[in-house]
Amino acid sequence: MNGHPTRPEDFDLYALGALEGEERATIESHLATCAACANKLAEAQGRIALLAFAAPRVDASPAVKERLMRQIHAAPSSASAQRAERRTREAERSAGFFARWGAAILIPAAAVLALATILLWTQNIRLDREVAEERAAIAAQQKQLDEARHEVDLMSAKDTITVALAPQPGMPQGAVHVMYNAKMGMLMCDGWVEPAPKDKSYQLWLVPMDGKPISAGVLSAPSGPIDHWMMKLPQGVTAKAFAFTLEPSGGMPQPTGPMVLVGPAT
Amino acid sequence: MRATDTALIEKIVQRDEMALAALYDRYAAMLSSVLNRILRDTQAAEEILQDIFFQLWRNAAQFDPSRGSLPGWLLVIARNRAISRLRRHNPAEGEELLENTVVLPSTLESAVAQEQLIGRVKGAMENLPVEQRAAIELAYFEGLTHSEIARRTGDPLGTVKTRLRSAVETLKRNLLP
Repeated sequence: MNGHPTRPEDFDLYALGALEGEERATIESHLATCAACANKLAEAQGRIALLAFAAPRVDASPAVKERLMRQIHAAPSSASAQRAERRTREAERSAGFFARWGAAILIPAAAVLALATILLWTQNIRLDREVAEERAAIAAQQKQLDEARHEVDLMSAKDTITVALAPQPGMPQGAVHVMYNAKMGMLMCDGWVEPAPKDKSYQLWLVPMDGKPISAGVLSAPSGPIDHWMMKLPQGVTAKAFAFTLEPSGGMPQPTGPMVLVGPAT
Repeated sequence: MRATDTALIEKIVQRDEMALAALYDRYAAMLSSVLNRILRDTQAAEEILQDIFFQLWRNAAQFDPSRGSLPGWLLVIARNRAISRLRRHNPAEGEELLENTVVLPSTLESAVAQEQLIGRVKGAMENLPVEQRAAIELAYFEGLTHSEIARRTGDPLGTVKTRLRSAVETLKRNLLP
């Protein structure tokens, strides 16, 4: 049986979604071929849609509109694309029966194209990320290589001096060796030191023969081993001594705190 | 002068954000109400509300005002989406746009028209016998079929069918202008 529904309420019941099984299949197969009944269904859809007004009024949060407007700003779309879509739709409609076959091909094709675009886009993002990671890894390796080269240069240079820094009475304990080359302006530090008091940092100073102490850096960790800590300093400064002082967290331009470890360079 | 839905759709096709904002202001409360009634979940309702208007923004060129009413389409899509969310089913977006032609018996472009319709629909629903009203609410707001309503209420399937048919007959009579 594929005739018109016998009772007009059938359209409303179908629009309501209450029909099922054979009842639903029968009306669906008829609607697919009968324009008059499709119009009746459109009217029934409208009547049933009005039942929404039986719901208690709930206003949407203003945040939804704000999010929507942000979302459309971010959406990749254009007026020309929209106009092209409309022209495509009108052409399909005017083509009548054949348009359905066209749509049957075009819609899956568009879906495949969209999927391919998404895949390529995703792949592109992934490749960009991988390239960025590779570049970062190469930069890190280059930095390590440079440090290793400087370390070798410093240790093998005949004019490099080694200074042992000894703890001062009443101060935190530690044992540190400094290797320094004035011509290269390079300094390397190894050893260990007890934890610094709260809100304090250890700061290493080069005390020159003439002039004010030069900061050689602030220990980033409050305590523990100091392992091949390389610092670049002004070249040509002859050292009289090296010292660790306790300074306010983050260090100071000039020493203000007590000396913890000290070692003469001569 | 108030722009018609058709004029606003044309402007949205031209990427006029103010036109979308105007349609949102016109219909968001109507959709928010039905979404919240079906889902009883404000966050989920707001997600769907935003998504529907975003879909309208993206696909406005596909909407043909001569084939049906915009608020009618919005209401059908909102209900379908909400019930699909309840049933953990995702309808295809393209199907919604192309296949849902909805003709409303009256215009809803003004707030006054919407208020009047709210009064008429609520009045019509309240005048239904309690069992018929319950059956139609289960069908519309929960998306239940005849047999699912029968299982839910414990009533015979034939009784449920008769109730629903009577309810839609009465509503049709009372809601038509």
